Amino acid sequence: MDINIKNLVKDFGSKRAVDIDRYTVKSGEMIGLVGNNGAGKTTLFRLILDLLKRDEGDITIGEWSVNETELWKNYTGTFIDDSFLIDYLTPEEFFYFVGKMYNISKSSIDEKLEKFTRFMNDEVMDTKKLIRNFSAGNKQKIGIIAAMLHDPKLLILDEPFNFLDPTSQSVIKHMLKDYNEKTGATIIISSHNLNHTVDICKRIALLEHGKIIRDIDNSDYSAGKELEDYFEVKE
Amino acid sequence: MLLSIIRKNDKLAAKRNPSFERNRFAKFIIYFMVAFWAAYLIFIGITLALGLKEGIQNMEAYHVFNQFIIYLLFADFLLRFMGQPATSQEIKPYLLFPIKKNKLIDTFLLQSGLSIFNLFWFFLVLPFAVITIPETYGFWGVILYLFGMWLLFIMNNYWYQICKTLLRQKTIYLLLPAAVYGSILAVDLLPKTNYFGRFTMNLGEGFIQGNIIAFIGVIAVILLLFIINRYMQIYLMYKELGKVEDSNIKRVSQFKFLDRYGEVGEFMRLELKLCLRNKAVKHQVRMGFIIMLTFSFVLAFTDVYNGTGMSRFICIYNYAILSVMTLGQIMSFEGNYIDGLLCRRTSIFNLLLAKFYVNCFILLIPFAFMMIPVYKGKIDLLMAFAYMLFTAGVVFALLMQYAVYNKKTIALNATIMRSNRGSSFFQTIVICCALFLPIIFNSLLSSLFSDETTYIIMLITGALFILAHRIWIKNIYTRMMARKFENLEGFRETR
Repeated sequence: MDINIKNLVKDFGSKRAVDIDRYTVKSGEMIGLVGNNGAGKTTLFRLILDLLKRDEGDITIGEWSVNETELWKNYTGTFIDDSFLIDYLTPEEFFYFVGKMYNISKSSIDEKLEKFTRFMNDEVMDTKKLIRNFSAGNKQKIGIIAAMLHDPKLLILDEPFNFLDPTSQSVIKHMLKDYNEKTGATIIISSHNLNHTVDICKRIALLEHGKIIRDIDNSDYSAGKELEDYFEVKE
Repeated sequence: MLLSIIRKNDKLAAKRNPSFERNRFAKFIIYFMVAFWAAYLIFIGITLALGLKEGIQNMEAYHVFNQFIIYLLFADFLLRFMGQPATSQEIKPYLLFPIKKNKLIDTFLLQSGLSIFNLFWFFLVLPFAVITIPETYGFWGVILYLFGMWLLFIMNNYWYQICKTLLRQKTIYLLLPAAVYGSILAVDLLPKTNYFGRFTMNLGEGFIQGNIIAFIGVIAVILLLFIINRYMQIYLMYKELGKVEDSNIKRVSQFKFLDRYGEVGEFMRLELKLCLRNKAVKHQVRMGFIIMLTFSFVLAFTDVYNGTGMSRFICIYNYAILSVMTLGQIMSFEGNYIDGLLCRRTSIFNLLLAKFYVNCFILLIPFAFMMIPVYKGKIDLLMAFAYMLFTAGVVFALLMQYAVYNKKTIALNATIMRSNRGSSFFQTIVICCALFLPIIFNSLLSSLFSDETTYIIMLITGALFILAHRIWIKNIYTRMMARKFENLEGFRETR
């Protein structure tokens, strides 16, 4: 599913948070969005998801302009932060709730959840715990799984590696790569973890002060050096 | 030094509360309410002083007043539950600083003793003392009395701190204040005893006369409670830090019967879980139910509201009260996870439909209770039925308009005072309309038609609105979506 961004501008008071002339994500691409704190990554995601009003410009997902129709929502899965979780439900209840929103039966949800067994690591299901009582890492897992349950054609994840233990980070990395390769879904992730981003994304957008200042081809997974130089990562 | 930092932070926390800072109307309401209660207590203080001076011949007014100090302290104790946090709750952010824990606890306890809240009842006590004491004991009598009363409120503060801290551990500790106040009441109710009344009367007299034993006695109790608090806070600190508000749920309710209603049914299920699993929502619904059931019982079993006008008002109020409490802040709780809802197509529309259906269903409860006064011939069945339909149709349509404008998140599990509540101008208007419009409409119709015709018109109006509910809910949804970004910003900022 393509994403087209044209002349996108978002200001917060006198500060320009996002300023992108033109950027296109082609169907099936896996894009990593990197940048320092305050670069505008989450703001850009919220603009793409029509959760924030843009001051200028246009965003389309597939054939739909995001602010004119809600049809793109059927094909989009996302997890940005805790405000995407209904924390007084148990994980099972939340997954079934999400399933219902996309007309997926409980039995299908149970089937789909099996794919995430390793990622959940026996810590999420059958605990009779409300989501609010889970650790930050497990909440992150619940959010990511919920975003992927309806097999979206576009998956947007903000900092998916945050709060996760090393094993889960590795699992989610492979899971996202597999999902992209098998389904051809478009995936956009933001991350401060350059290694993980370079490992799985074939294209990396470097965002600073709201502008995409570099669009790096990482098809041979060699963008690490360029990113390390830019962020002055030293041994 | 530490004390002044903590005091400064406390003041900033109150001043920078989002609902207070961003909402001029809420600010006005808060100031107005404080001024109202202050004026009200001053009025009571003056009236009581003058009334007792005139009415009681063989006793001084302050003697009579002082006999009821224990009840004043009880009222103060209850009031503190509305908003005063336990020390153990406040200590957490400071624990990682290089300050000794004991010093930190002492400072917090000292801060709660010096809190201005301990002077709240002076709005009542001060005017009373100024009117009644100087005649006999002059200016110093008033000063000493007020000082003694201040000490009593500080003592009450530490007593409250003990109860509140224990209650946060286990509900069973409710038995402690219940036993204390129950015993006091039981002793007081025994004929010709009045031990506590006499004791507090003498204590008050001791304050006025500057009796050093009276002051030392109260200060000794304060110190004792302070020390108990100190040990208790140290002992319970780590329990408090590791506290999870609600641990595993024992039984996961599925409400399977809602499966057949598709996505709307799913949102109805969500609505029920919202009410059952979150402290703030549960408290609100419980209060609504208590008020509703109280009115229903009073209407059914007593003769208090026998006049037609009053019966009508209570009947309408009875139907509307719970929905005023829930729909009156529609979307505030959903503000906590609104981004997730908005990422799914039409979910907000279905959520609004679910809210409407759940609230309609709840109306059957007061209607069932109304059958008792109906059976007793106190009110007409037609009236009870017409008001129910009018509430479901017109009142709900009015209340749900607030969904378009509400942009304030209320924490799902905070206490009333800490949950970021506070009315906006539009919310107040909507609630007032919901409560009074039916009465005005009813009175207007009654002046033109017979009672029966009035009820039929209200019934038809309500039924028409119910039949058209998808249209007006769609309209609310469309307007909500038009204001989506503004509301989202508000929800995020008040989270």
